Amino acid sequence: MGKVLLVYRLALRDLRQHAAQAILLVIAIAAATATLTMALSMNGVTNQPFAATKAAAKGPDVVAYLTSTSQASSLVHASGVASSSGPYPVASATIQFDGRTAGVFAEGRSQAPAAVDQPDVTAGSWVRPGGVVIERTFADALGAGVGDVVTLNGQRFTVAGIAVTAAQPPYPNLCYFTASSCPLSFVVEGHNWRNVGVIWMTEAGARGLTSKANPLTTYALNLKLTNPADADAFADQRFVPPPRGGGAPGFQPTYTGPMFSTWDGIAAADALLVQDAQSVLEPGALLLALLAIASVTVLVGRRLSEYARRVGLLKAVGATPGVVAAMFLAENLVLALFAAVIGLVAGSLAAPLLTSPGAALVGAPGGSSLTAANAIEVVALALVVALAATLVPAIRAARTSTVSAINDVARPPGRRGSLIRLSAGLPLSVLFGVRLVARRPRRALLSAANIAVTVAGLVVVLSFHATVNTRLATTGSSLTAGGLSDPVVARDEQMLTVMTIMVVLLAALNAIFTTWATVIDARRAAALMRALGARVPQVSSGLVVAQVLSALPGAIVGIPIGIGLFDVVVNKGSLPPVPWLAGAVLGALLVIAALTMVPARLGARHPVAEILQSETA
Amino acid sequence: MQQEVVLAMLAKEPSQGYQLRARMNDALGPLGEALNAGQIYVTLGRLEKAGLVTVDEAPDAAGPADRERKVYVLTAEGQQRVAEWLADVAWPKPDLAEFHLKLIAAAAARLADPISIVDAQRRELLRRLRDAQRAELDVPEGSDAALLLEGIVLRLQADLRWLEACEANWTTRRRKR
Amino acid sequence: MSGSGTALLRARQLRKDYGKGEGLVRAVDEVDLDVAPGETLAVMGPSGCGKSTLLHLLGGLDRPSGGELWLNDKRTDRLSERALAGLRRREIGFVFQAFHLMDELTARENVELPALLAGRTPRQARRRALTLLDRVGLADRANHLPSALSGGQRQRTAIARALVNEPLVVLADEPTGNLDSGATLDVLRLFDQLHASGLTLVVVTHDERVAATADRLVSMRDGALVDETRLTGGSRGNLSDLL
Repeated sequence: MGKVLLVYRLALRDLRQHAAQAILLVIAIAAATATLTMALSMNGVTNQPFAATKAAAKGPDVVAYLTSTSQASSLVHASGVASSSGPYPVASATIQFDGRTAGVFAEGRSQAPAAVDQPDVTAGSWVRPGGVVIERTFADALGAGVGDVVTLNGQRFTVAGIAVTAAQPPYPNLCYFTASSCPLSFVVEGHNWRNVGVIWMTEAGARGLTSKANPLTTYALNLKLTNPADADAFADQRFVPPPRGGGAPGFQPTYTGPMFSTWDGIAAADALLVQDAQSVLEPGALLLALLAIASVTVLVGRRLSEYARRVGLLKAVGATPGVVAAMFLAENLVLALFAAVIGLVAGSLAAPLLTSPGAALVGAPGGSSLTAANAIEVVALALVVALAATLVPAIRAARTSTVSAINDVARPPGRRGSLIRLSAGLPLSVLFGVRLVARRPRRALLSAANIAVTVAGLVVVLSFHATVNTRLATTGSSLTAGGLSDPVVARDEQMLTVMTIMVVLLAALNAIFTTWATVIDARRAAALMRALGARVPQVSSGLVVAQVLSALPGAIVGIPIGIGLFDVVVNKGSLPPVPWLAGAVLGALLVIAALTMVPARLGARHPVAEILQSETA
Repeated sequence: MQQEVVLAMLAKEPSQGYQLRARMNDALGPLGEALNAGQIYVTLGRLEKAGLVTVDEAPDAAGPADRERKVYVLTAEGQQRVAEWLADVAWPKPDLAEFHLKLIAAAAARLADPISIVDAQRRELLRRLRDAQRAELDVPEGSDAALLLEGIVLRLQADLRWLEACEANWTTRRRKR
Repeated sequence: MSGSGTALLRARQLRKDYGKGEGLVRAVDEVDLDVAPGETLAVMGPSGCGKSTLLHLLGGLDRPSGGELWLNDKRTDRLSERALAGLRRREIGFVFQAFHLMDELTARENVELPALLAGRTPRQARRRALTLLDRVGLADRANHLPSALSGGQRQRTAIARALVNEPLVVLADEPTGNLDSGATLDVLRLFDQLHASGLTLVVVTHDERVAATADRLVSMRDGALVDETRLTGGSRGNLSDLL
């Protein structure tokens, strides 16, 4: 009981005295945990909305794409089928609106509501002669709203309404499962297979889009089964694989049998929107965790000798090694827990902004999809970060002999004769900087390691950006040529922006703390220089030189580390171009130099005598 | 007992012998009690002979003059002597030279081991230091007596340090031989 | 240097070496020492003679390279780190030259520290700490931080801390090294009182004043005990000799 009070008391006092360090630690870990929370919150974010959409739009369990209406009756009367609608003619067309072009899957419908697959109109009204209804994501990408006039295969139609459906995946994933969703060449000449969307219009209107060159070859039949769980089995039973040697997969103009798409396949396609985002956030969380470890290691590493002295004292009055280690870890672990809670809360609050299921589905994602297991994962991350940074010093502190710990004189600065001789001829500030680094190589190393991790983080973010750009360039060219905004890419870019902001923030914090720490450590040496007659700008630039000297190798090493990390986490990514990398390194060094100037100048305001007196030898 | 001290004690007001003794004891504490009571009258007698002090007979003195009842008064010369004494900055020197020579003589004539001499002296001084310190702890903090004892203690400490230096020095000399 | 009767603390052929081969330094060289219960023992010697090392060995802060160490008839030189910690909690109190108080705890909390480590309830520890602070004359400073205390007050707090678990012996390493003469006197006064109440004290010092308060004084040189002086048991000198 008493020991708990003791640990609590010591931790509390220490926190109060070193509040800035505690806050930084919490911020670093909270950033990592918040990102992980967001990533985990996205699990199944589309499940509920899909169910809601399916209910609202009377979504089918199986959609069969037929090549002739005669194929319909055997399916409609098959065992297990509860109800059906269709077959509806499906014409392929090209839509044009406001300078944008895309392929269209135009389904001909009656004005009366169908029993199965009646898309849920969210704006405007259902089809009418001359009026078309556009799938919502498609409409967003086109930029078209109710009342706008669009051109389909040269004919003008008015947008009568906007609707969501559970019978097809939303734009641009309509043909994602190409074998079953796009049975015919819905890929219009010159268009990418992703650039296809669904619209509904009157049957007459749909037939009106066909021509000799573009015949009607597909009919959509919507089936509702007595047992929806049987959908896959139903489809597998009746699906006859296409004959061998037929053209591009999925695009079988010669294929004559029905092709099937099941509701769970469609649901999965709906989820693609957020899966990509998760694939950015999860490695992002890992990266932030690494950055957090680096920050915490610096924070802890600076106070090692103070910790050692405290440990020695505790041992001298009779604390066992176990108690000592516990005291050492308690503080940081409690902070980590606190940071985990903050991260969980912040991540949960921010998640809805990023995890909206998209325009394709109605209904909000169900509550918080964060399970208890997820929460434990997040807390575990926070604890691992804190442990990784503090475990080694804690064990070392617990194991050093009491006498050496209690008499711990701060390791006297080393002397590197060669470096000193080398630097003798240099201008004063450079000389000062070099000798500062030579005095405390371990600190310089710690500083370099920190910068390395920071630059690695920046490189990973740059790599992500490069990958997205490349992907856009190769697969999305027709999209950009068509002028539509790809919601998946848009979502990806959203994620990337979030990631970039957090990494840059953490990197900045890291850099600030490292530079500030360097200046504090060198305070006495700088004061001595001033006492001996150096001017303040000379001393400040000396500090900058020292910082840049130790940061440069770190920044350079950070590049391969970042690339390696990215490689591990994302396969088939692309590397950022060399100018970007060079820019990142240079930028980092410049920022670090600037950041060093601030505390250096501020420190120079104190009178020399004050600094020399207050520092113990 | 320094003559000038007694003179100075009379400077405040004429006093009888026992009054002077009381004031001394107050100032010296336990050390004062160790003083011979008769000493002060001997000193007063000398001062009277030297014309620095005169005696004012107590008006109601009857029969043989009881020395206890004599009232001593400073003369003008006495007052001047007091003034000179107060302004004098001489500080009595401890006799280090004698001890130093003692060691050298003992070593040269092979009469005794200088280190044993040093050790013996150290032991003695340590005992004195112990006594002085004990006395200091026994008197009220901050009193006049405490201040005096502190001075004695610090002096002894200084002498002991020198003796340690002597021991180190003579040990080295022996090793070199 | 053998003692008489039952010794509280006993060292036989105690040794501490640093380095190896050519660079071997013998900090403590075959020291035999007995400390009787209730005795104040002073250890003097020039700096670097190994007296602090000897004290650290006696207190279980460091492990001897050879020899035997007994506290209250129990062997202590072979104990595990855990057991040594227990020893430092219960049987031994340590006072350092640099005080070594925790800067972020008040005087009272500093004194409570070993009591809480030993498993006392917070209330018991608090009560005991206040009693001891009163005993060392710092009752009105109990809630001050060390930075608000003078050197002498800090050392007295450290002494109170060393006493809080009622140790069998208090080991003090240059307790007045950082103090001026006024503060030194306060500490000596305190030691005197503790001695009178039966405390066993081993003091390492180069201050003759501190040594003079001991019952027995041993001198060290180059790691070995070279001299022993008994300071009590003789007649008290004549005070007039002092003048």
